[in-house]
Amino acid sequence: MPASMRSDAKGVAAWFGRYLWSAWAGATGLLCLAAAWQMAHELYGAFILPDPLTTLATLADLATEPGFGAAVKETGLRALNGFMLAAGIGAAAGTVAGYSFAALRLMKPVVTFILGVPPISWIVLALIWFGASGGSAVATVVVAALPISFAGALEGVATRDRGLDAMARAFGAGPLRRFRDVTLPHLLSYLFAAWTTAIGTAWKVAVMAELLGNAGGVGGALARARALFDIPQVMALTVLVVLCALGSDHLVLQPLREAAERWRTAGQSGSVKQPWSVRP
Amino acid sequence: MKLRLENVGHAFLGRTVIEGIDLALAAGEIVALVGPSGCGKTTLMHIAAGLVVPLRGRVHRAYRRHAMVFQEPRLLPWLTARDNIAYGLACAGTPRRHRREIAAVRAREVGLEADDLDKFPPELSGGMRQRAAVARALAVAPDVVFLDEPFSAVDAGLRRMMQDHLAQAAAREGFCALFVTHDLGEAARIADRLVVLSARRRGIIDLRAIPGRPGARDERFVFDLVAAWSCEEAFAEILDGAGRLQ
Repeated sequence: MPASMRSDAKGVAAWFGRYLWSAWAGATGLLCLAAAWQMAHELYGAFILPDPLTTLATLADLATEPGFGAAVKETGLRALNGFMLAAGIGAAAGTVAGYSFAALRLMKPVVTFILGVPPISWIVLALIWFGASGGSAVATVVVAALPISFAGALEGVATRDRGLDAMARAFGAGPLRRFRDVTLPHLLSYLFAAWTTAIGTAWKVAVMAELLGNAGGVGGALARARALFDIPQVMALTVLVVLCALGSDHLVLQPLREAAERWRTAGQSGSVKQPWSVRP
Repeated sequence: MKLRLENVGHAFLGRTVIEGIDLALAAGEIVALVGPSGCGKTTLMHIAAGLVVPLRGRVHRAYRRHAMVFQEPRLLPWLTARDNIAYGLACAGTPRRHRREIAAVRAREVGLEADDLDKFPPELSGGMRQRAAVARALAVAPDVVFLDEPFSAVDAGLRRMMQDHLAQAAAREGFCALFVTHDLGEAARIADRLVVLSARRRGIIDLRAIPGRPGARDERFVFDLVAAWSCEEAFAEILDGAGRLQ
């Protein structure tokens, strides 16, 4: 099969090119936002809102400081660990709940309860339970991101095509095969949508927990900048967290999603298969 | 007998749909199941295929493998036409290379081109999707095929072609088929036997053999047969819409 593999590699390269190209569309929106930011800066002055370029320069300065990389890595690991735990547990529990009405009845109130508790309470509780360490940040991220993943998985399984399921059953497919062939591809589109939200939440909550728990990382740096009233540094750290969240979504999750859902682009707008960002 | 239903009855949420059904399929015969909508044709077929467990009665199966064609194509959107046609074989554990070869052969039989095989279902026309569904059923070399109004949504020309293909395949490969339809002409063309279900009496009200060989009957004969049936009491419920407007 070398021929088909060659064409496959070519297809992947072409797809990657289009994916990168589509970043322009995203950049346009971000640059519009930067323009509005600049306008607000000129209206209210540098103390209230430093301009974008100063912020970027501050960020560049920060990046050269010793310990900066370690802090970002620390926060990133906490966000990632929390996200993976939440994504895994949420997806598994949501899938079970989607299949079993009894499990749904048991778990739905619990998830609603978790959703209702303000994240700040979780942070305080986690600080008491785990101390001012990474554990409290990870625990808070898990609690904040879990319901999102759970709801996505639940929705995905609940809306699976029962007609296709009956078809697979008529051809003698067992429960595991039916889950893999019929439910999972459908479920994945719901999971990726949920995980996109969850990974953003993970970064935000990790920084918040670090700030309140004085547990180092980017949140710790943010706490220091606040104490010093260093507004450009606050903005720089904010931009940094946003970039990290965007990066983990667009550079990790979306390519995975795209690879898992190659079939979705089939038959769309003729032969031109476009990556997700510029899909109409 | 390949398949025998014994005193089968079923109800959904307490509402009886069918009751006391006895039905048998002999090797190589095509049995058409006709009746007005809501008479339990599809339920009876799902019971026969094992998709629904009947509340009463028993189903005896004396065959290896069955296959099913639904009213809609029910192709998996994430698989190509080739892998969809091979899906039944994949469930049966046939090795990948072998099942792809079989899929290609079966696709050709129903008139799908080689380059259609790498397309995904949304890229195929409605008729092509239903052809792929028929190819998927025949690909598993079934002993019994269940067809639930398979051609009700395809155009007249393709319907005729698929009916003939099915009758020929049944004769050639010796599978028997249970064919649900509400089209008396279709039943008259391709069935060996006709079973008429009633919605009012919740069971079989008529059972008859159709003379001639399925798929080999001429148009005139089919037309006259349906015309004769339309005067009979047994078919009144199917042809008369007024009775259902109560």
